[in-house]
Amino acid sequence: MASSRISYAQLLETNNLVQASADETYWLCVTRTVQESKLFPVPAYMMLSYMMSYYRYPSLLRKIESRMSAEEIGDRARNAGIKIQNPSMGWALPGFYLLGREWLINLGLIRPQDAVEDLIYVMDFWKRFQLAWHRNNGHITNKEFGHRGQFLPERRIQVFHADMYDCKQGDALHEAAQNFMAAASQYGFLISCESRISLHNSGPYKLGDDREMIVRDFMDLSESDFPWLDDVARDVPYNNLTVTMAVKDCHFYLVDDWGSFESKPEFAADKLVGVGLYTSDSLSDGYLPVAMGSREELTACFRSLTEKVKDANNKLWRRVAGWSRDQMMDAGAITYFSIVKDLAHVAGVYQVADWMTVDERAERFRPLFNDEYSRDVLVGLCIGAHPSHRLSEYTMMQHSNAAQRLYSLIPYSILQGEDYTPTSGPIYPGASHLPGKLDRYNTTRGVIGLAEYNRMAREARPPALEPKYRHLCETWVKYHAGEPLADELYRLDQANSRLLRDKGSRLKRADIEKLRASSR
Amino acid sequence: MAKLYIDGDKYAEPSASVVVDAYHAAIKDLVRRRLDEVGGDWASFVFDKSYDLIGAKDFAAIENKLLATGHRFDWSAMISVRERPEAYKPATGIGDDIKTFSFEHPEAKVAPPDAEGREQRGIGDNVVKYPKNLVGIARYIRSSERVLELLASGVPADTVAIIDDSGGTLTAPILEQFKGVICAGGTVRSHLGILTREYGIPCLMNAKVSGIREGDRVEIECTAPAKTAEAYQTGVEMTAKIWRLNK
Repeated sequence: MASSRISYAQLLETNNLVQASADETYWLCVTRTVQESKLFPVPAYMMLSYMMSYYRYPSLLRKIESRMSAEEIGDRARNAGIKIQNPSMGWALPGFYLLGREWLINLGLIRPQDAVEDLIYVMDFWKRFQLAWHRNNGHITNKEFGHRGQFLPERRIQVFHADMYDCKQGDALHEAAQNFMAAASQYGFLISCESRISLHNSGPYKLGDDREMIVRDFMDLSESDFPWLDDVARDVPYNNLTVTMAVKDCHFYLVDDWGSFESKPEFAADKLVGVGLYTSDSLSDGYLPVAMGSREELTACFRSLTEKVKDANNKLWRRVAGWSRDQMMDAGAITYFSIVKDLAHVAGVYQVADWMTVDERAERFRPLFNDEYSRDVLVGLCIGAHPSHRLSEYTMMQHSNAAQRLYSLIPYSILQGEDYTPTSGPIYPGASHLPGKLDRYNTTRGVIGLAEYNRMAREARPPALEPKYRHLCETWVKYHAGEPLADELYRLDQANSRLLRDKGSRLKRADIEKLRASSR
Repeated sequence: MAKLYIDGDKYAEPSASVVVDAYHAAIKDLVRRRLDEVGGDWASFVFDKSYDLIGAKDFAAIENKLLATGHRFDWSAMISVRERPEAYKPATGIGDDIKTFSFEHPEAKVAPPDAEGREQRGIGDNVVKYPKNLVGIARYIRSSERVLELLASGVPADTVAIIDDSGGTLTAPILEQFKGVICAGGTVRSHLGILTREYGIPCLMNAKVSGIREGDRVEIECTAPAKTAEAYQTGVEMTAKIWRLNK
């Protein structure tokens, strides 16, 4: 096929997004930590997941957008600590797709101009989601923002700030919160087959001259999408938990598109001086406080959650230790591939067959994925060591100065007649070596079946997304604070707040501190 | 034979991996042959016919061809070598041989006993600086069987786990019971480093050790400065010592 449907402007923009993603992938892979495991065949399942992503993401994203636009999902993502933040959307959506594409190019199985309409669409979806999700900071990624992850509007930050309980090392709340975060982090690594995609950090938000706030999300903790959590996670009462953390004398100078951070000086437990706890999902209309009535209630809740999470962790570990390599491969690959599955939950079109199975086009590659080949080919994909990465000797890549590029651009020659192919095709059947998923989903509206979950999601109308409020952005608030409509908007987030209920839109940061001081 | 688009690559160079190059050459050859068989029409081949024409059997044959040369794969996950011992290099230090096993890293820094009788047997990157060094008993933990055993019997007091897995899952159900950790892999930002920091367990990552056996008394210099991101990025050496003590 020669192009009559693709414009020069589309290709220019797509290639720009591909290149931006390539530059950041290299930086993340080289400067962040190596992920390895003696339990899970990590590189092998990662390679399998990239194939699943390459073949299925275009069709699945189109299915999602048939119900809800990427921009609207991006707007909703600001209001919940679910798996459509980082690393899901900031990096993995384009990253997994493009890593899969690059590998296939190196095998000679596709050319840079194959499935071009898929590629344009995936990158365009990503751009629209990212810009909507990041609309309060005006950047497309944390990377573009100088590795900073501020998404929340003032009205939500103020509630987090106001309702947080003070703590200090050695006190009961500090110890309980710290123990919970340790146990939940460990459980998250196990749920996610050694990856860190159950965890997400965003921020920092400046609470005062000597303090910043980091918002940490623990996601997919209970019985929900992953079949391997059926039964073992039944007693974990919340599927998603968000911990707000005030940190003193410590500046988070880097929060990347993988949702991890760096700080000066190094963040350690003694710097944690305030915590809060929330839950949310695609049905919750925002963040719901968890045990935030008093510090004693919150302390007890953290302790109880820690015990439940540890129990689930130990049960899950015993289950995983009995798995075959194929089962470990499937669980890991599904965890990676389904990193953006909450897009489908928000749109109310989630299907188990779409997200929890290995597409047969990806499955055929499994015999290649022994540990050694998978390791070597993966490293090559991440640092640019394969033939497709090589460029003219005059070229100097960002970060490394090497003559290479991590992801192949689409050749513009398709605009003047060189043939291309539009798509890799629809969703093909899939299968899994894991037991089937039980029809049980722990949500903020109770434990329900998937049909009910999708129905509720389709009916969900978050108040802040109503036409009356949706585009009342931070710029508008700056010039309309105190007006009735601005107060209404702020009261949406203040409805469940201990200290800010019905306070309206005029408060500034110092007013929040005064309210906190008077409540102590 | 059909020519692939990438056959005309002006700048291509071999990859650094023999296995990758062998696999990719074999796969490209396979693609050329299958494309020839259907008349060379790329547009109908790439996302349609190729799904049926290039399948799991073809890829298994490529692996078999490499194994027939005597090559045995490096393993990273224990399950891989356990299920297919004939395809992987053997694993040591995970069964009965644990009593005589020790990591022997060429980069390990060793020194004769000091005035206190402490014999340096290695170094590592300190995760968190603590007020006192840690003394404990070295125990190798390298397999899920060992973890299961300790899960059943309980982790002995004073255990300093010697691990070569910088991940956070292998030791997930028992990690909290370790007194200290020496990990022969990763960095202070690896999952194991993150978890030991959260649990307040002294830990050295990226350790290079020699001559430490199961049951040895060891001391970790966790009073050394924690290794920083800048130190990793600029290549500055910033290590803590590991000593073997008299029993």
